[in-house]
Amino acid sequence: MKNRLKVLRAEHDLTQADLASKLDVSRQTIIAIEKGKFDPSLSLAFKVSRLFEQPIEEIFDGGI
Amino acid sequence: MGSRLDAVLAKGLPKRDKKNANRVNLWALGWMFSLMANAILTKIFDQGTSALWGVIFVAHVVAGVMLVLSYRRFLSELDEMERKVQLEAMALAVGLSLLVYSAGSILHSVDLLPAPDASIMLVVMSFSYMAGLIIGRIRLA
Repeated sequence: MKNRLKVLRAEHDLTQADLASKLDVSRQTIIAIEKGKFDPSLSLAFKVSRLFEQPIEEIFDGGI
Repeated sequence: MGSRLDAVLAKGLPKRDKKNANRVNLWALGWMFSLMANAILTKIFDQGTSALWGVIFVAHVVAGVMLVLSYRRFLSELDEMERKVQLEAMALAVGLSLLVYSAGSILHSVDLLPAPDASIMLVVMSFSYMAGLIIGRIRLA
């Protein structure tokens, strides 16, 4: 799944480790999501959405 | 290369996951030692006291149950991507072990192999589980 996580992270001046810590996941998970290799669960997508104050569909492209 | 190695070693897991993983490892060691104690003592004493075997049996069962419970907790609280890797590795380990056992049984029935042994199954399960973890972590790195 394509997403704008890397862009949003850069805009908020966060490192992968910072974001992982804020979302309570591993840095590997952030890397995999940014590369589009791992699709986050709905609850993690909501956490990302709340953190960056943007709707889920503007961060993640479900390809619909 | 460095990031792949980090992924294989599951670096950067939240502290909670590391703590839970250490708990699982400790119970796994206890479970393994009780199994080894049984194997070694059986060789040393032909006829040990029933109390000794009773202690080993209880220690083994307690360590085994605690291992299952701690692993369940580890999985339920685990980072979601690592959980996916763990579950896929477990599926590989169970599937491959069943296959090795069933294939071994067929070959045993035509006297090409000795009967499949529980220790061999444990080795197959352990190695396929480890292989599954490494493959999964590299794939998602």
